[in-house]
Formats: sequence, structure tokens, C-alpha cells
Amino acid sequence: MVETSKIQRISDLDTVVDCDFHLVERQSDILPYIEEPFNKMLSRSTGDDYGYLSNLYPTPGFLTPVTTGKVQSETVRSPEDVRRGMEMLETDRSVLTPTQNLYLACVHHDELAGALAGAYNEYLLDTFIEPNEGLYGAVVVPPQKPQRGAEEIEKHGDEDGIIAAFVPSGGVHPPLGNSQYEPIYEAAESKGLPVMMHNAAGTMMKNFPQQFHGLDRYLSTHVPAHAMQHMVNLSSMITQGIPVKYPELNFIIQEAGIGWIPYFMRRFDAEYSGKREDAPMLNQQPSDYIRDQFYFTSQPLEGADDPAYIEHTLRLFDGGNNLMFSSDYPHLDFDHSDELLKMLRGKFSDEEIENIYGQTALSVYDF
Amino acid sequence: MSDTTTDKKRYFVASTAELESNDRVIAEIQGREIAVFDVDGEYYAVANYCVHQGGPACEGLLSGTVTVNEEMELSYDQEGEVVACPWHGWEFDVKTGEHLASSEYVLPTYDVVVDDCKVYVEL
Ligand code: FES
Repeated sequence: MVETSKIQRISDLDTVVDCDFHLVERQSDILPYIEEPFNKMLSRSTGDDYGYLSNLYPTPGFLTPVTTGKVQSETVRSPEDVRRGMEMLETDRSVLTPTQNLYLACVHHDELAGALAGAYNEYLLDTFIEPNEGLYGAVVVPPQKPQRGAEEIEKHGDEDGIIAAFVPSGGVHPPLGNSQYEPIYEAAESKGLPVMMHNAAGTMMKNFPQQFHGLDRYLSTHVPAHAMQHMVNLSSMITQGIPVKYPELNFIIQEAGIGWIPYFMRRFDAEYSGKREDAPMLNQQPSDYIRDQFYFTSQPLEGADDPAYIEHTLRLFDGGNNLMFSSDYPHLDFDHSDELLKMLRGKFSDEEIENIYGQTALSVYDF
Repeated sequence: MSDTTTDKKRYFVASTAELESNDRVIAEIQGREIAVFDVDGEYYAVANYCVHQGGPACEGLLSGTVTVNEEMELSYDQEGEVVACPWHGWEFDVKTGEHLASSEYVLPTYDVVVDDCKVYVEL
């Protein structure tokens, strides 16, 4: 129990960094930036009279509360939209992340995926990035084309306001420990950028197609999707020694809640004891790499009606140093800024709370 | 405790005609935003502050909800009696303020009086 907490509300915090503020870019917003030959291929004015063949990003066809109108999400397609959201959330800096491009790894044409990533990055820089106003972003890399991803990082990594690389990690195949992804890690490490990993529930349709079809509802898909895809990628990355090969590289794992983190660390250590030969590159416990090089964003915070659960869980993975606040605004399960703070007050020190809400992000991202 | 009207005050919200054409009216009363819903001529007053994360719960879609009948087939029920908070879609029964997924969460409700085609909330 911490006795004296000066931090009562969001405005008492020194700096609030929101590690996951989504643009809701449309395909039509980024196509004007696409390179040849896709620009020519896509510049026709007629062609798709079916109404869906023009979608370059596969969609899962979910029936969601947004579809039915029960959730009325805000749009974020201009810097003004970002400012409005930041005002509501009382944040100082936003790390802008995509929405449509969360599905990039599902795009059914590898060269096109590379071109779409390139177009998104140009669109991001051209339309949104404004460090003076707290608008920062991450270079999106196409998992299908790791070399192209590395080139995107090389090209934009030094620009003002680009503070991370972003891997749309849902739907990647093979998982992210495979050596084919090393150009991405190498480029990010050399530019001093952390690698953000973010799934979308619907991307399960690609790497877990049987489960996706079997689940047959948005709810039953969304509950396991984020954490299970992260567990698969982390399992692959740590077993293949990615953190050992890139010791200066940090990873930011997003949008899967918190309870699975201490579980995963302990399970990994327990398994490693008897199966070390599968991971001969490691020279510490698997959980040590997670503690040193992996950071986690807070939303969607499960158990917010159970303060003891939150306190206990955060303590079990050193959340005071490894957890970073994120809102996920304007998606349908976004967290308002004070949701987590209510749980931390009186239980965590002011320093830990400042870390979670901004200080850790200020050191992990390349601000 | 049935006769507490003596220490309660009435606050005008809208005329019955206005409510009939709008299905709900949100008024600010004593610093609280309170929505009054018209469900087939019956009036229900509910706080416009979501018990989840403080969203404007009563400003969202007013509709029915999916349920199952006795044969466990999907059906649609409570048309016009369910408001969904626009932030995360929590559904509330406007007659009771209860959250449909868990009755532990309830939006505060208030008494409504109709007098001479005028609708009042009592606080
Ligand atoms: S604030 Fe109302 S549903 Fe979340």
C-alpha cells in the first residue's frame, strides 16, 4: 500500500503518452500514394460492379456492434479528428496506428502488400505526423516482404515524428521468429526504433482459419484472438533467439490485456527447463528476455471491476516498468484514460504511475 | 418510504408531444444529465452517464435486442426499450436502467410525473 499519492487524476500526470491511437484510414485514402505498377492497375474508373472486388484487404465479415449501430465509433481521418480524440482523452502525445492496415498480412499479393505499406507510410507522414502537436507515428512494414519492410524503415526511420516500426502481426505466416523476418529486426535495431506488434481479431481468418470458421461469432473470436496470436509469435521469437540476436531491440506488444503475460512467462520458463535443446541460443530464462526487451500496452484492461486482480497481475510482470498506457481510441473496446488510473491510485507509487502513463514510453520509443 | 414526494422537486423536461416525436429527450437537471424515454406512451428517466467508463449511455441507438425463444432459435425482443451506450455498446433496459449482460450494473433511474401534457422528472 502506498501512503501518499499525489496523482489523483489524469491532469496531475507529467506526460501522458497514448501508445495506441488509431487512424481509421480507408483504402481510398492511401491509394493516391501507391507506387507503380499498382497506381496504373488501380486507376481505372470502372471494373468492379459487384461492390466488393475492389477491397484489397480481406475482411472477415463480422457482425459487430459497430455494424448494428450499438457502438458509434468516431472517425479519425484528419489531424483535427486526432486532436478531438486527444482532448477527450487528456493525452499529450499519441502514437498513431492504423486500422485497415492491421489486415496487411492478409493481403493476398505480396508485392501489393509492400506497395500498400509504402503508400500508408507516405499518407501517414503527409497527413498526420506533427511532433509539435504530439502526433507521432510508426512505419508500417509488410510481413510478406521483410526486405521491403527493412527499406521502409531505412527510408523513414530518421524522419521527425517516426518513433517505431509497426508489424501488423495478425495473420503472419510463418510466425515472427522465422529467420525470414530478420531484415526487419536488423533495420529497426540499427535505426533505434522499437518494433510494435498489433493484431486484429479478424486476422485469425488467415493463420487460424479452422478455428476462425468454427468460432462463428465476433465475441467468441475476439476473446482469444489477440492474446493467442501474440503467444504464437512470442513463442516463436524467443525460441528462435530473436532477442539474443538483436539485444538492442525492444518490442511493444499491443491490445491483448494483461492476465496472459505472467502466465506466459512462467509457462515458458517451466517448459524451457526440460526442452532447452530447442532454444540453444538463449542464455537466460525466457521470461528474462520478456522482462528486458518486451513492453506491453494496457488496453483492453480486463478485470477493471476487481482492483486486487489488477494490482496482483501487474506486480507479477513488473508492470510498473513494463506496462504502457494505451487507449485504442476510437475502436469499439477503447479504454478511457482514467480507467487504469483508478486501479493504480493508492496501490502503485507516483513514479510507477508516471512510468505507466508516459515515462516508460518516452524511453522505449524513439521520441 | 412510499411518500417521499414532499422532499422531492419536479423539473420540467419536455411536453408529451415533443417526446412522442423524439423518442427521448435529454435534460440537464441539477448538474446531472437525465434522459427521459417514451416507450409506447410510458415514460422512463435514466441517467445519461454510463456505469462502464462514463460514456453518454442514453445517446446511443434505441432499439431492441437479440434473444432466443423457447426452441433456442434467435429472435428479436424489447423493440424500442434498449439503449446502447455509443462508446462500447453496453445495452441497458430503459425501463429499469439494468445492463442486459449483468444486472449488477444499473444506470440510476428517476421518477417521472406527467401533468397537463408536461413531463417532469422528480429529484
Ligand atoms: S462507457 Fe458506456 S459502454 Fe463503455
